[in-house]
Parts: sequence; C-alpha cells; structure tokens
Amino acid sequence: MSRPPLTALLWLPLLILPFYVDMFWLQAGLFVMAAAIGAIGLNLLTGSTGQLSMGHAFFLAVGAYGYVYFAGETSGHVTGLGLPAPVAAVLAVALSGLAGWAFSPIAGRVSGVYLAIASLALIFLGQHVLFNLESVTGGYNGRAVPPMKLFGFAFDDSSELIVAGVPFGGLERLWYLGIALLLAAMLFARGVLGARPGRAMNLVRDQRIAAAALGVPVGKVRAKAFTLSSMYAGLAGVLLALTFQRAVPDYFGMLLALDYLAMIVIGGLGSVGGAVAGAAFVTLLPQLLARYSGDLPLVAAPGADGISPAVAARYLYGAAVVAVVLFLPTGLSGLLSGRLPGLRRSATPMKEESPQ
Amino acid sequence: MKVRTTFAIGLAALALTSCSSKAVSSQDGTGADGVKTGKGVTKDKITLGALTDLTGVYATLGKSITQAQQLYFEQLNAAGGVCGRKVDLLVRDHGYDVQKGVSAYSEVQPKVAGITQLIGSPVLGAVLPNLERDKLLVIPAAWPSSVLKEKYVQVVGSTYEIEVINGIDFLVRKKGLAKGAKVGHVYFEGEYGESALKGAKHAAAAAGLTIVEQRIKPTDTDMTSQVSALKAAGVKAIVLSAGPKQAASLAGVAAASGLDVPIVSNNPGFAPQLLGTAAGPALQKNFYLVNGLQASSSNVPGIKALVAAYGKKYPGQTIDNGVSFGYVSAKVFGEALKDACKAKDLTREGILAAHRTHAAFDSDGIAPKLDFSQVGKIGTLESFVQKPDAKAAGGLTTVEGPFTAEAAKTFTVG
Repeated sequence: MSRPPLTALLWLPLLILPFYVDMFWLQAGLFVMAAAIGAIGLNLLTGSTGQLSMGHAFFLAVGAYGYVYFAGETSGHVTGLGLPAPVAAVLAVALSGLAGWAFSPIAGRVSGVYLAIASLALIFLGQHVLFNLESVTGGYNGRAVPPMKLFGFAFDDSSELIVAGVPFGGLERLWYLGIALLLAAMLFARGVLGARPGRAMNLVRDQRIAAAALGVPVGKVRAKAFTLSSMYAGLAGVLLALTFQRAVPDYFGMLLALDYLAMIVIGGLGSVGGAVAGAAFVTLLPQLLARYSGDLPLVAAPGADGISPAVAARYLYGAAVVAVVLFLPTGLSGLLSGRLPGLRRSATPMKEESPQ
Repeated sequence: MKVRTTFAIGLAALALTSCSSKAVSSQDGTGADGVKTGKGVTKDKITLGALTDLTGVYATLGKSITQAQQLYFEQLNAAGGVCGRKVDLLVRDHGYDVQKGVSAYSEVQPKVAGITQLIGSPVLGAVLPNLERDKLLVIPAAWPSSVLKEKYVQVVGSTYEIEVINGIDFLVRKKGLAKGAKVGHVYFEGEYGESALKGAKHAAAAAGLTIVEQRIKPTDTDMTSQVSALKAAGVKAIVLSAGPKQAASLAGVAAASGLDVPIVSNNPGFAPQLLGTAAGPALQKNFYLVNGLQASSSNVPGIKALVAAYGKKYPGQTIDNGVSFGYVSAKVFGEALKDACKAKDLTREGILAAHRTHAAFDSDGIAPKLDFSQVGKIGTLESFVQKPDAKAAGGLTTVEGPFTAEAAKTFTVG
C-alpha cells in the first residue's frame, strides 16, 4: 500500500508526545484512540452499510468486561479466568463479535430507524446485566482491570522504566499500544471498504434492491457488518478498560451510545479518517473546554454564581456540533480532504452523499 | 536517502526529549523554613482539589459542599493560612460523568496535596487504584462501608448501615414498633441501597422485625406501586434509602392512600426544597431523617457560626446538609495540614500521617466526634434523627441525638 508521505508524517509527532505531555493529555489521547476504534466500527455499519445502531455502547461493555473477566483473577466476590492478557484481549474481541453475531438475525432483517430502536434495547439489557452480574462486573462500583502484558512487558506502573530520561509509566506505555491498535484498525477498515465487501456494503446502503438483483445477499451483508462493527467496539472496549484501569457499569449507558453517533456524524459518514477526527472532536472538546473554560471571559469560577465552566463547556460543545452539521455537511473528513491536497488520496474511495 | 531521513528524525527526537520537562526529577524537597514539601505545595501556597458535580444529578449537593469548603479555606487563609502558606481549592466539575471525572483526576492529581471532595461512587471507584500510586488522601461525598478499608480514602461520618440501624432503633423506641412487626425498606439498587439493606437486616434481626424489600432504580420517581405493595404487606414503618424525589413521592403517596406509618430515611433522602412541594405536609407529618450531622437549625456553636458566615458570604442560598458536610470535611483537611506543618512534613505522606493521629476529631458539634485513627473502622456510630419543618433554617429540626443504637455496636463491616 503506497501512502502519501504527508499522512505518515502526521503520525510522527504522536510518537514523541509521551516524552513531553503530562498524564491528563496522555489519558485524553488514549480515550480518543479507543473512541476512534469504536467509531470506525460504527461507521462501517452506519456510514457504509446504512444501518443505524444505538447499541454500540453495549458491545463496548462486552469487550471491556470480557477482557476483565478473562484476564482477571478470582478474588473476593468477583471471579475471573486468569488467562494471559493478550489471549484475554483477543477472546474479548471475539466475544463482542459473537454477541454481535447473536444479534445479527435482527440486524440482518430490519434497517434504519427500526434497527436503532431494536438495538437500543441492548443498552438497557446491558445496563441491567452489568449492575446485577456482580461476580463478573463487580456491580455498581465496577472492578479493577488487570494490566496488559505482552511477552513479559507490563503496560502498567509496576516496573520502573526510564526512556531518554523520561519515566515511562502505564499511560506512556499504553500510548504506543493504542497507536498500534488504532493504525491496525484503520488499515483493516480501509481494506474492507476498498475491496468487494465494501462495495457490497455501499450498494446495500444505497440501492438495496439493486444489490439483491446483483447477487449481493443483503441480509448477510448487514449481519456481517454488524458483527464486524461489534468486534471493533469490543477492541475499543478493551483499550478503554486498560486506560480507565477500572471498568464501571455506569459508563456504558445511553449517553455513550449517543456520543458515538455524534462522532461519526461530525466526522463524516462512511470515512475512516472522518471517524477518527470525529472521535477526537467529541472526546477531546468537552475535556479541553472543562479544563480551560475557567480562563474564558464571562465565565465564573466553579462554585460561584453565574455560568460555570462546565456549563459554558456544554454550550460551546453544542454550538460546535451545530456548526459542524450546518456548515460541513460531509463532516470533518470533507473539510480535511477539501483543504489539504496531500490527504485527498488517502480518503476512502467512497461516495460523499449521506446514506438515506 | 530515506534511511538517512529517518535517522535524522530519530536524532532530532532524541535531542528534543533531552530537554523535556517530564524528565526525572525529585518532586519532594525541603523549603527554606525546614518544612518538607511534596506535590501541591509551594513556598507560599498549598493546593487542594475538589472533584465535584455542579451540572449533573448531584448539582445541588455539589454546589453546597463546594461553597462551604471555599468558605472554610477563606476563613483559614484570613487567619494566616497554614505554615505561612495560603490554601487554595482547585475545583473541577465532572457532571457525574465517569470519563470526565477520571480525566479531571489525572489533571488535578499532580497539582494538589489532597482531595477534599469527590462526588460520585463510580468516579471514586474508577480512581481508587490510582490513589495508592499517588498516595493522595481523598474525602468522598458518600458514606459507603466498602471504602473503609482503603488507606487513602477517608469517609467523614458514619456509614449508610449505621444510619439505618440507628433509624430502626428510633422506630422501636419512639414509634412503638413491636417485635414481629413488618418494616418496609425501599432502596436504590447499587452500593448505597444495598449497604443500607445490610444495616436494615442487622437491625431487624436484633429487634425481631421482618424486612419487606422494595428495590428501585434511581430513575424511578413514582413510588405508587411500592406503596401499594407495602400496604398490602401490612408494614408498620418504612425505611427509605433513596433520593429526595423518592422521599417526596413515597410520603405523598403513602399519605394519600392512607398508609399512615413513620418513614425513616438515610441522609441523602432529603432536600429542603421538598418542603415547597405538594408533598411538604406529608413529609412534616411522618418523615424522619437519620443524619450524621447536626440540623442547621440547632443551637450548637459550630452550626451557629457556620450558618451566620455562610449566609453572609452567599446571601439567600439554601443551607442544606451539603453545607455542613462540606465545611466539616474541609476542616478535616485543614486540621491535618496544621498538624502536618507542626511535624514539618507537608508531603502527601506527612499529611496522611497527621490526619491519622486524630482519634476524636472535633468540629464544634457540627458532627459527632470522629475517629480517623484506624483504617477500616467506622468514624462514628452516632446519628441524629431530624424532622422536616418548613419554618426551621435548612428545613430540619432535631428530634433526637446524637445517639447510638445497641445494634450498631455489634455491627461488623464486611
């Protein structure tokens, strides 16, 4: 695959970032990477196949708790299988895929808003199970996430490691794992979209009857897209859990599912780069605004009367979302490919029109 | 050519990292005044953190706690501060969102010497593993027993279990609840409600009562079905471990359907604003709040001074439980800092060690005497019973207390 050098250059600063920025930024960056993987998955389903899913947060939870369960040890009131961490991560992704596949009889049959409503049920089901299956999830307060270990190298703070004078803790190490996973996830999605399955998915989205007439099994394509998207969500869940170091059921709710929809809409439906940009936008903006809004004019200090920074952050976030939807109908990916000629070729070969 | 470019970039990266501000350097040092300092402490300032909720479900509570803590540190600074340093409160609002809470923790952690307020059990659960690494003392705005064993978490007050045990004891002594009677327990799913249920079962076993369980979700705000189920079961009293909305609905619906029994509630089950609602009269008739803090209308010196100062700084604002709690928990930190200063050790370990020397912490009567000396032990077994009263400051008047039920002494956490 020959890729324009400019895109490769964009990744370079990311590689040296852990040497400079503090924990807040590393954590925010890792949240973005996890969200980006999840958003790419949802975009494969919603942007490229035209299937609207509200259940994405459920599959994130399956991935996160799957990993915790497979890798965790039995102690106190929680049980675990104590498998090696990489095996547990692979199994967790497979488990998410399995959950998605189990849901695919529905995902293959209904489409659009109907699927959105059907998959919404997963969120509520998931929340109920997460809160009550205490031996696996730890209940309301969640459960500690065992650190990732690859070939004897632990991605946590347990051992001391100093690289070029900078102490490398858990987040610094995870950073590179996150980048590797995100790159792999992006390349794989591009591969899928650029080849036969991608064309079948797009045709199912745009012309269902034409697809069927050409011999594309519409139901099967939808079901497969749903399964693949769930596996992406599972991987995102694993990375999220590793970043959080604790999996808390409360997190995997309705709001998270809506956030993911916002990411792909803002980023640009159907585009891999767009999903990444959208994930960065949706994940980073509220955090940045919350951190720096205290310095904005007309904003009161937290706890004082007047517009608090968090409220101001919400207004700004809302305004930004509206602005993107109004002025960038193709999302951030349209902006990127329009402005920067070097990136144009790397954008996925896809129609820019909206799926419905 | 390509190899050379890569090599050059690599070299440049190495050169850049050598001047990174993150490079290893010792954070702990000793100031000119001979006081050992750590993260969050400079030569003229001590910074403490507050991870609060000013925009989410606990916004009212978060605002009261934060303002009361700001009031305390303002008073402390006006009196000269600690160790010649001003104490500053760094407030971050997470809106009861776990991810924002965790990010806020990561941002605040390197800048503070301790955290005086942390709202949200899920957020606390998420940062718990980091506290050990960061050696950071945290006071949660919650009273679960599950964190008592954590060295770096200090629950200020008793726990939900103790409140319920004392509440049932009050029902038996003052409301004529006889052996064999049935008591309904309406509780939230999750840690709060389930801890309270443990307490209820313990107290019921001791007093020979039967508990009729009604588990609800925090999103359930209509208690009609719970009231009819409890009425059908023939309960003689109701224990509530939920929020103010559920309290209003429960009291209102029970009164309307003729279930005229006393209701005792854990401390999060009341807000003064409820008295202005249609449920106000029903609450004033049958509702009792079990609380670890004195009512704002009481005459103890600590409360009087606090109410006066708070009313002066934030005129027209409701004085609720959050104000007293915020003030006491800020004071817990303030006293720990003062003792750490005496020991000439303002590092995080020093502050924690100073905090653990307080075996009978006195808050001028706002809370009972609190014991912080032992990890894993409940700070106090005493509770107050209060009654809603629209005319009183803070909407509550004291009925009884502080007192300790016999059953509370035999209760073991675990």
